[in-house]
Amino acid sequence: MEAMDATELQTPTLEHTVEALLFLAPDPLSEQELAEATEVDAPEVQSALSALAEQYAQGRRGITLRELGGGWTLASHPAAEDAARRLFSRKRVATLSPAQAETLAIVAYLQPISRPEIARIRGVSADSATATLLERGLIEEGGRSQFGAVLYRTGTLFLKLFGLRTLDDLPDVARWDPTPEEQATLRERLLRAGEARAGSGPSQE
Amino acid sequence: MRLVGSDRYGARMSIATLELDLDLFSGPFDLLLTLILREEVDLLELALADVVLAYLDHLEAQGELDLETATEFIVLIAALLELKSRLMLSGEDDDELLDIEPAQAAEELLERMLEARRYRAAAGHLGELLQREEGVRFREAPLPANLRKTVTQPSDGSQSPDLLGEALGRLLRMPPAISLRHIGVPKITVAERLAHLRGLLRRGRFSFDEAVRGADRMTVAVTLFALLELYKRGEVDWEQEESFGEIAVHARAQSVESYTERIAG
Repeated sequence: MEAMDATELQTPTLEHTVEALLFLAPDPLSEQELAEATEVDAPEVQSALSALAEQYAQGRRGITLRELGGGWTLASHPAAEDAARRLFSRKRVATLSPAQAETLAIVAYLQPISRPEIARIRGVSADSATATLLERGLIEEGGRSQFGAVLYRTGTLFLKLFGLRTLDDLPDVARWDPTPEEQATLRERLLRAGEARAGSGPSQE
Repeated sequence: MRLVGSDRYGARMSIATLELDLDLFSGPFDLLLTLILREEVDLLELALADVVLAYLDHLEAQGELDLETATEFIVLIAALLELKSRLMLSGEDDDELLDIEPAQAAEELLERMLEARRYRAAAGHLGELLQREEGVRFREAPLPANLRKTVTQPSDGSQSPDLLGEALGRLLRMPPAISLRHIGVPKITVAERLAHLRGLLRRGRFSFDEAVRGADRMTVAVTLFALLELYKRGEVDWEQEESFGEIAVHARAQSVESYTERIAG
């Protein structure tokens, strides 16, 4: 597979074509898009993709083939990151602040969701976090609620950056539910705090 | 139940004069309303459905629908229904409600805390995902123009120097100053609070909390200044048993009279 000779180039295989399309496309290409562009059936595209995936398997090249964001895309190998950072002088993605990560998680799981709803779940305003996530393209506007509030959802960039094929790759959010014991402790602490407040007298506020 | 339509105002009769003949009451509608509001007729015992039926009978007798009267009637009957439903619901002991509320509130708060926790954990997971993808980059360059399916040219004339100049000119003009008149600046003067404190003093002892009950922070601060001023002038003295405890304020002997005159001026 090292260097291709002239005859191979003159009769490009489907693999070559798919590889070229992936190279050109700025966004992940779905199997259907590839099938339409190359005018072949989906199974053929799939076998071409798996052959390509074989060649681009981790560690073989400076580029990897990834299934992300509802399609296939070429990505750089993490080994090149240091050099890439020197070349582009920009981190691939700035780290997320806790508020941004929380807001992003809520949008990712509950989309489409409005800002007031996010704020209700977090217990604090989500305005600046939402604005930053929007600016970075991690979330986008997706219509309006029946009350006219803008609804937010995640886009392809989110899936790409977080290495997800689809939103279904996210684990069930219920797995982070606290255990009954933790819930009981929390409830007890809450009630104790409530009693302490009540004990301090109603004239306190 | 029977309806006696009053003809005093002809066809366009005001709803107030609708004559009612109910089990509990007979007379014009507006009198019924008055009696209800004075609690001389018990709304809980009054069948509002009968009032509605009486009105419908009246409408039928009249043969035409006067929208204005109908609206008036609907508004009034809706208000009565609301009043009645509140009366029926408040039958429970109020104290009991107060007892339930904190527990319910705590339960609700807990539910929210758990939800927030769930998504905080999810956020942690996203952070791990991002970490795992560290160093993976994608092509960010847009497709070369000649490879795009659709080519968007800047619209005609949008790049003319005149337009640019005009746009810049607009930026250079100073915008009118923004009026802040609608923002009320709270103005509390020490003199006002002095008068307030002296008023309380005339009635005897009082606590600082009483003097600033329901007041905003600014007022509390100014009241404290006023109290210090009174102390300086020797009009008051105070005790505070412990830190953050109640401050009991009382007049200093035979000083009230002489100083009350001074403030007036």
